[in-house]
Amino acid sequence: MSEDIKIQEAISQLGKDRSIANYSSFEALLDNLTSSSLEPIKISVVRNFTIEPLIPIIKGDFARCGFLTDIYLGGFDVTASEILNVNSGLYSHGTQLLLVANWLEGITEILTQKYLSTSNAKIDQEISRIVGEIVGLISFFRTNSNAPVVINNFPLIDSPTLGILNAQLESGHTASILKLNKELLNSLKKIPDVFIVDYFSIFSKIGINQGYDERYWHIARAPLKREMLLALGLEYSKYVRALKGNAKKCLVLDCDNTLWGGVIGEDGMDGIKLDTAYPGNGFISFQTEIINLYNRGVLVALCSKNNEEDVLEVLDKHPNMILRRSHIIAWQINWNDKATNLSLLAKKLNIGIDSFVFVDDNAIECEWIERKLPQVSVVHLKGDPSSFKRQITENGYFDTLNFTDEDKNRSKMYISSAMGEELKKSAGSYDEYLRNLKLCVEIGTPSDTTISRFSQLTQKTNQFNLTTIRYSAGEISRMIADPNIAFYYLKLSDKFTDLGIVGVAITKTEKGVCNIDTLALSCRALGRGVEDTFISFILGRAKVTGHKKVVGKYIVTKKNAQVANFYGKHGFKRVESNEKMSLWNFELEEKAIPPLPDWIDFSLITESK
Amino acid sequence: MSNEFKLKEVLNKIFKIEISSINDETSVDTVDIWDSLKHLNLVIALEEAFNITFTEEESVEIMSYPLIKAILNEHGVII
Repeated sequence: MSEDIKIQEAISQLGKDRSIANYSSFEALLDNLTSSSLEPIKISVVRNFTIEPLIPIIKGDFARCGFLTDIYLGGFDVTASEILNVNSGLYSHGTQLLLVANWLEGITEILTQKYLSTSNAKIDQEISRIVGEIVGLISFFRTNSNAPVVINNFPLIDSPTLGILNAQLESGHTASILKLNKELLNSLKKIPDVFIVDYFSIFSKIGINQGYDERYWHIARAPLKREMLLALGLEYSKYVRALKGNAKKCLVLDCDNTLWGGVIGEDGMDGIKLDTAYPGNGFISFQTEIINLYNRGVLVALCSKNNEEDVLEVLDKHPNMILRRSHIIAWQINWNDKATNLSLLAKKLNIGIDSFVFVDDNAIECEWIERKLPQVSVVHLKGDPSSFKRQITENGYFDTLNFTDEDKNRSKMYISSAMGEELKKSAGSYDEYLRNLKLCVEIGTPSDTTISRFSQLTQKTNQFNLTTIRYSAGEISRMIADPNIAFYYLKLSDKFTDLGIVGVAITKTEKGVCNIDTLALSCRALGRGVEDTFISFILGRAKVTGHKKVVGKYIVTKKNAQVANFYGKHGFKRVESNEKMSLWNFELEEKAIPPLPDWIDFSLITESK
Repeated sequence: MSNEFKLKEVLNKIFKIEISSINDETSVDTVDIWDSLKHLNLVIALEEAFNITFTEEESVEIMSYPLIKAILNEHGVII
């Protein structure tokens, strides 16, 4: 435990001072760790340049996202043999995530040193060759491993140039690199679970002079300068967070000097700084970014020490506010301490407190949250309001690798479930309330268009998740061909909204027994009999397809205690149990299947796979 | 923070050696884990700490505590 506190402190320190020396000493701390609450992850890195200086940064930034990284680093410039030899260290490491790092000069002379002396046709040929080789390697890896792959595209560096003429030519060096990147993306996206890390854009942001180390490229084939190392550590960590389903869900904002300049309680509606001219326009641009996040499906909440009516008045009436009451899912505006308020918000929204990002300009509030609720990510806004926008986006807290229709509507759906809470208060009996909701459940087999949402639910659902097995879209596409495995999605709508797909189940038949491999429901769907519908359906389905027994498994995680007795409550008998898991049997020939709740309008979409 | 302490702190973090044990004998020959890759980290960390940029030649020369001090001196960092 004390080791954990030490790590948490070191992580928070690292967040405040991302110096190369600090990453180095943090790496030593991690390497000597005997136990930790960080989630272990095995990563392999194959590369054709000296990427070693990046390794401590990756370990540090992954730890800041909650991961303890065990890295296998492939030899220098032997990517092909690492991938093509299924006995290589890459495979025996048990890789869960593969990073492929390519530096263009190590791959091609034609697109680098010899560019100007090569004909256009040859250049196109060379682009096809490079893309073909990379795609060949990644496809081979994919047939031998399910691990997601993150591979970089190419920045514009050291362009062999015709000077100012370069920009006049359709076939200039810039155009060729853009073409290479585009073709690489087009080909790689056909392979499941392969993702591009955008070196091109990152180098544009940092600047080539700041990011590319010409000295160390020549001395040691190490092309990355400090700025670039720090940017890439952060960038790769966004992928691991998204892939492991640890993306944050809710942005919790302070108000005074965060959403507007000044203090509403003192300065009043006319006194706060919020307009289209400096300095109020920095806050407007910050609010624009909050709306972007809202549109990406991020929940926006407020937690501030103010009089509630003052803040609501600004939200409703201030002419220059972009953020409005309709965007806010929930608020705690009072004079209580913010840690308590955050806990209340988590309860209200029924999401884990570790999916919160807390944003405040006040150092004391930030420190308090860091100390009381270390699971919450804290953004302490510093400096000019014009930089606030960057400060909440640069860590990629909310980044995901797919964007579904459900994401677009999530905020609206939550707001309707908050309205549901209101209805619960006003409606007479609970029964009446449920009937009033006009719940419709549809269960069916996922199709090509819903596989990505299906996989997302296995990855993002933590609380109502019996086994917490994560599946990538690629794995599901492959498994779906297996006749012994059945997949069911659950769609839910009520009188307020269509919530879309909120539940997933996977069952596997072995020797006439139906094993529930996965059963997960989004928290938004709970408490209305939807979970009862799902399990009754699975049992009924198992019976009509000739099974005698259904076996459910509960695997303990830090977050899924609420379903520890889920099977017990639905007529299963516990046959095995220890502190890590329990096994439950339902004998279909002996027991009656619990009926479907009668307030739910249930439909089954049967399609052949 | 004195420049001397700052330098020793970088060496401490990169090579995991006690600050009190750093002296003119400290070099690539006496520090076990000081290999070419750790050296790369050292160069980047020193440039970061003192806000300077080494030339190619300097970056391969700084193989001992006295040499680091001498070259930092040339960059106006007095230790």
